[in-house]
Amino acid sequence: MANTEAALKEAMSSIEGTTGVALVDYTSGMALGTLGGGKDFNLEVAAAGNTDVVRAKLRTMEHLGIQDEIEDILITLGTQYHLIRLLKTRGGNGLFLYLVLDSARANLAMARHQLKRIEAELEV
Amino acid sequence: MRPLTAGPDEDARHTTPSPMLQRLAAERATGALLRDRGTLYLADGQVVHAESPATPGIDILLTTGGALRHEGWWDAVAQAGAGQRVARYLVDSGHVPGGALELCHLGALYDAAFFALAPTRTPARFRYGVSHWIGPVRPVAVDAVQRETLRRRELLDRIWPDALTDTAPVTRTAYPLDAPVPPRQLRVLELADGVRTASDIARELGRSAFHLLVDLRRLAAAGLVEAVGREAAPGAAAHGLAALPETADPDVALLRRLRDALEAL
Repeated sequence: MANTEAALKEAMSSIEGTTGVALVDYTSGMALGTLGGGKDFNLEVAAAGNTDVVRAKLRTMEHLGIQDEIEDILITLGTQYHLIRLLKTRGGNGLFLYLVLDSARANLAMARHQLKRIEAELEV
Repeated sequence: MRPLTAGPDEDARHTTPSPMLQRLAAERATGALLRDRGTLYLADGQVVHAESPATPGIDILLTTGGALRHEGWWDAVAQAGAGQRVARYLVDSGHVPGGALELCHLGALYDAAFFALAPTRTPARFRYGVSHWIGPVRPVAVDAVQRETLRRRELLDRIWPDALTDTAPVTRTAYPLDAPVPPRQLRVLELADGVRTASDIARELGRSAFHLLVDLRRLAAAGLVEAVGREAAPGAAAHGLAALPETADPDVALLRRLRDALEAL
């Protein structure tokens, strides 16, 4: 059973191209844990801002009447991928894992697969 | 008179909700900081636990959320309460996965700290050497707790600047749902009966009270919820703003929000 810090460390070390990772509560926008990032990439700011991304998508789905759940959200920048994976927590408090990848080094399919595995270790 | 530029006092108010907490962190104190609306437990100058009557404790969050059965909780308290290792016992005995416990505890800690660090005129007290029976989970730096508390205050005010729904009983307004409301907020709306407060609803749903404040402010911003006692607020009637005429105009909700925002200035 991984604790949050171990899960973040594993994401950082096992997912190729990862430059930062955060575990975020999407109601409050609080980062429950962050790893990586740095002076030019404030993960806490990114965490709070991306809660609006998740909320907007959930609201759009409601407007469209889509009865489904978001598994992950991918944002492709020129040089980075930002991957948001919503966690299915038993407590039902909405959390998501937020991953920043260097697109030159990352393997997107592998990253999504690894993130799924890390989620399972964190929550099962 | 308040100076136009932020003086040292103003800075202090914005950067540290509790200067005393700052000092205790600097001296790496261990004990309990008792404030008006909650208690922060420190170990070696770091926050290890927090409690507030305004928000459900970790026991309610774990059991109502379905992560743990009531018996499991009481078993842990009986077995490990005296030794102050309840959290460790819950994980070691297989009641709760370590990751889930840590996340739940962190959530409860920041949540209670937000209420405990609310502005107050009652002086705080610190009891040296006191520790909490939940035992070690994951300590958090005082700076992180204070920063997050300030961020949360700003977040609430950004959503909707009227804090009345934070503490007063809340009720549904007469306005119909003209857009889909997220399921989580819908459950909150169903419990807004004019008697329950944010804390009551949080306890009933087994959710963080801060999350409830966020949901209620969002619902207030949408014109769906208001604090009871709002109509009786002194001055509201005197300004001739108390009642809007009944009309089929779809912008009534907007007008109402504008009115509330103006009143909140």
